Formats: sequence, C-alpha cells, structure tokens
Amino acid sequence: MRAIRADRRPLRLLGWCACGLALGAAAGVCAVAVATAVASGRSTSADRDPAGLIDVGHLPPLLRLAGEKVTLRFNVFCPARGDDPFGGAPCDAGGDVFVRAGGSDAFRQLPLRRTDDVADGRYAADVPADLAAAPEGFSYYAVLRNEATGASVTVPSGGAAAPQLSLLLDPAVEVDLGRHAFGSTRHADSRVADAAWGSAPGEVGLEHGPSFGPIGPSSFDVASNGEVSVLDQVNKRVERWRAGRTSGVVPVAVTGGIADMAVERDGSVDVLEPTSAGPTPELRSFDSSGKLQSKTPIDDRTWSQLRAGPQGPEVQQEPSEQWMPAQRGRSWLTRSAQGRGGHPGRALANGNELVVYRAGTSEARIAEVSGGRVKRSWRVTSATPLGEIQLAEPLGSRVVVVVRPYTETQDEFLVLVLGPRGVERSFSVDSADWAETAPLARFRLAGSSLYQLGSTPSGTHVDRFDLEVNR
Amino acid sequence: MSLLRPRVVFLAAFLVALSLVAAKAALGAFVSQCNYNAPTPSPNMYRDGSVTVALVARFEGYHWGGGCWNDNDVDEGPNEPLQTVSSGGEGGDCSGLTFKVWRESLNTGDGGHYQWGKLRNVHGPYSAASFKAGDGVPNATYSKVDATVMDAFASSTHIGMIYQRSTSGADQIIEAKCEACGTNIFTRTYRADSSYGGVRRMGWTG
Repeated sequence: MRAIRADRRPLRLLGWCACGLALGAAAGVCAVAVATAVASGRSTSADRDPAGLIDVGHLPPLLRLAGEKVTLRFNVFCPARGDDPFGGAPCDAGGDVFVRAGGSDAFRQLPLRRTDDVADGRYAADVPADLAAAPEGFSYYAVLRNEATGASVTVPSGGAAAPQLSLLLDPAVEVDLGRHAFGSTRHADSRVADAAWGSAPGEVGLEHGPSFGPIGPSSFDVASNGEVSVLDQVNKRVERWRAGRTSGVVPVAVTGGIADMAVERDGSVDVLEPTSAGPTPELRSFDSSGKLQSKTPIDDRTWSQLRAGPQGPEVQQEPSEQWMPAQRGRSWLTRSAQGRGGHPGRALANGNELVVYRAGTSEARIAEVSGGRVKRSWRVTSATPLGEIQLAEPLGSRVVVVVRPYTETQDEFLVLVLGPRGVERSFSVDSADWAETAPLARFRLAGSSLYQLGSTPSGTHVDRFDLEVNR
Repeated sequence: MSLLRPRVVFLAAFLVALSLVAAKAALGAFVSQCNYNAPTPSPNMYRDGSVTVALVARFEGYHWGGGCWNDNDVDEGPNEPLQTVSSGGEGGDCSGLTFKVWRESLNTGDGGHYQWGKLRNVHGPYSAASFKAGDGVPNATYSKVDATVMDAFASSTHIGMIYQRSTSGADQIIEAKCEACGTNIFTRTYRADSSYGGVRRMGWTG
C-alpha cells in the first residue's frame, strides 16, 4: 500500500502543476483583457487634435554675397483642409514675413505667396532690394498659419524679440579648394583614448540592431589640460582618459539615446538629450561627480549641437536655426527666455559670435560677427560636394574649420586653418565613422590641437592632431 | 520542508503562467488595437502633405518590424527587448515608417499611391537595405547631392526621410531611429556619410 502511494505522488504533483499553469494562464488572459480595454480607451480618447498640428521648415540665408537676390522660403506642414486631413494633400497655409534693415528699424510686413517649389519651400517672400543691400544686413521673423484652423507657428521662435539676422559676407577671403583628392589622409599625432566595445570600465558601449546602428559613444569633449571625456550613453556614464589612460568613470542618468555633451570649466557635464517628457528635447546638467543638477527643456523641437559658451551652455536649435542660451548666471532659462536670447552664431569668449552657413551644395561661408557687423569672413568653395561643417572655431587670429567633402561612395573630413589671406594649413582626416555619433560631435578643439572621436568594428578612439600654429 | 508539496507546486506553476502571459501581452497589448484594413488608393501625394503624415508618428515610439501607431504623443510600448523578435509594441521601425509615409503598395510591382491609416498594422515588403538598393517599382536610387524634402537616405541597416536642410549642411531627418530614440525629427549627417545612399519615392504629385 505504501509503495502504491509513493508511486502516485509524482502524478498528483504533476496534476497540481498543470492545474496551476492553466489557472495562472487564465488569470493572465483576464488581466490582460482588462488592461488592454483600459489602455485602448485611454489612447483613443487622448489622440491629438489634428487642428493644432503645425510645423515649419526653413533654411535662413545667414550669410549672403552682394547682389544675390534674396527670397525667403518656408514649408508649412499641417493637416489638409477637408474630410481627409492626412490624405497627402498640402495644407492650406499662409503667413507673413516681418523684415527690417539691420536690427533697429521698424519691421515691414511681407505676405507670403504660395508656389509649387516644395524643395526649397512652398511659401515665399522676396526681400526688397533696399533691405537686401543694406550694409548692416536685414533681420526678420515669420508667422506661418494653417488658414483652415488658425493654428500658427513663429520662426525663429523669439519672433520680434530675437529675429533672424542675414548679413552680407563681403568682403570675404576667397578660398577655392578645387576638387578634393580622396585617400591622402594624415595620421594622428597621438591616440589619446582607446576603448573596446563593451560595458566594463575602460570599454565603451555599442548599440546595434537589425534596423539601426551601429551607434557608439555619441559625443566627447576635451578639457584645456587634455583630459578627454567620452559620453558612453549606452552604459549611462561618462568615461575619462588622461595621458592615454582611463582616469575615471562617472555614472550619469541619461536616456541612452544619441546625445551631445559639453564639459564646463568646473567639470560639470551638460548632456543634450534627444527627447524628454515634454514636447522638446532636454538639457541635463550633472556636477563633476555625476549628480543631476537640472533638467531644462530646450525651446525648439530639434537640436544640432551643444557647446559650452562664455556664459553657460548654448544649443543650436531648429527650426529657428539659432544658437540659444540655456543658462544665464546660475539660472536655467525657460523655453521662451531661450528663444528671446537666440542669435545666429556661436557665442565666443571675446563677445563676438561665429556664424556658419553651408550654402548650396559645395560652399561654406564663415564670419566672425560683432555687434551685428561682419568683422572678418571667409567664402570656401569646392568642386567636390561638401557635407556638414563639423567644427568652426577661432584659434587666435585664425579660424579652424572641419568640413566633409563627399561623393556617392566616398567621404573624408578636411581640416582648414583659415587666416587673413586664405588657407594657412589643411589636411584630410579619415572619417573613421563606423559607429554613429551625435551629428556635429566628431571634433573638438583644445589648445592648438584638434581631437577626433572615431570608431571601427573593434572599438572607439580619440585621436589628436596638432595644428602646429601659434594661438 | 519539501518544496514539492502540492500547494507550493500549484502556486509556483500559477505564478509562472501568469507572469508569462502578462509579460507577452504587455508587449503585445498595443498591437491588439491595430487593424488590417485595406489601404485607400490616394490620388495625390505631395511632399509637404506626406511630411504631415510622418508627423503623426512623431513621439509614438519605435518598434522593430512594426507599422502601427496612434496619435496621442505617448509611446505605449516603451523599453521593448532589443530587436530580436517583433513584440507587438507601438510605432514603426525605420523602413515601416518610410513605407507608410511614402504610400506604397504591398505589391512591389505597383507604383501607385496608397493611404494606410495610422492604426493599420503594416510594415511593407522593404528593409532599409532594399530601399537603399532602390528595390520595387516605386523606389529608385537617387543622387545624395540633389536629395530634397521627403527623399531619403538609406544604409544597409537604416533609412530616414529628409525634413529640412540645416545651415550647418547637416539635415533634419524624420525617422524611426531606435528604442531609446523613438520616432522624431533629428539632425543627422547621412548625406555625406558614404555608408548611406540616396533614395527617391517616384511619382510625387508635387
């Protein structure tokens, strides 16, 4: 009898197990059904009202040549009129541009006309010749409307308080690069940071999936003492190197998306995140130990780069296409205060600003501007298409510029040291861009050395190129 | 005390089953709101009108293999596992978003325009690599220098559509980028990156 009982025990346990699995699964299905119903009701009721949807695309002519006809063009993205707002037809938009000579006269109102040119902007206004020729340039802002719903958007976001500035480049130092010769790249003077992909200290994280990537460390910065900080957002930390060796790891609370980073003089770390809980991206500031100090939403929907300015971090934002301060003194600025502080160039320590404009397909225009006037400028033309301007930064009396010549199948970075008479020094650098970074975060200038954040399938590195010029 | 007591076994089995069903459903809950309606043939396909279609997907998350979203600006399937299986969360992936915004057909030989509702769960037949190669009648490779609003840049693993060129020479791109990035407008440097090629959807009305 006892033997029979012992034989049945496993069967009984199996029965209890099957019973538990069945009832657990049934309870799970019920719970999910309830949760789905709740979620369904919540999401359906919370759909955005299409009437409020409006956005703008605009490329401001920041730096112009004398005699160029100036037409300001805008695309307005909003739902179409009628029963099918997302049927693919353009919306019924309109608006006005407010233009004035320089920065002090009253604005003139120019109604936008609708055109068939979506590539450059369906809505256009010609700037009157007297304003276009004004030696102090002209400033403007635009108010775009969905005529069907009344929804509107102002660009730049600061409106009349911080209009966009368009300056005449002349007289500019002309630089003709000719056709770029790919394949003659310079080797770095030193590799100052080197890390394999991974999550251990001294390694840097890599994100890679079947429909994206690879994405490596998204930004870096270099202190005046040569210490390199790399934003390892995949592992949510900043890693530091000094004299080629790892010198510290600082955990930071970041989202893990592609972010830009700037390290301030006191060692605090600013990280410009791709997203936030609100409608615009967020600037997070950490002290040197990684403790979160602040979260500040930026004013516009999109950013392109973050730099430490003389009065705190500044962010180049779109669609305004302006640099906007995020901090004044110890105070972080609201979105509207950032918009009111917008200006076309990156703020420099001497109080001037450096304006950069990649015109057409193969031209770069750079100007140092003081009090709304061009102090010195360069017009760089190339027979090879130019991609983005990765870096433009003063180096004493010169300006260092890194541009990216490209064809359909090749690309390299071209480093130019521009002086009063043209190119004083130039060399090409391998793009070393196996893994993606933030868009304009591949180069930093510290002292008289240029640093590049690069990557290969085996890891990431920071290379130093000495520019061999005096500051 | 033995762990093989009936009540312990029952409880353990109950909890295992409950958590497995809940975990699977938590990821798949969003897709249960989606539909499989037929697309509507669309007479017009303007570039700026299609940008507006793409804007509906903004903030709705990223989901590998996905193509279904609502318009409440909340990712209702966040923190999904990293692209190993299609787990039923909200949002498109890069090629799914492009397929829907470009109003393409499931039939790669059909170059017509088809409107897919935002809650229509469809990814389409193209991967980023096949878009890059210009596969399918509606798609063609295109010069990167000349690429403009609603053309795209594609690599072997990713595709994003041009929203607006920026003063730096980079482009604002609307794309479903990654789980941590979501679907949004980002500044990117794909145009000059030799791992990317230009792609054009053919047949725009204007």
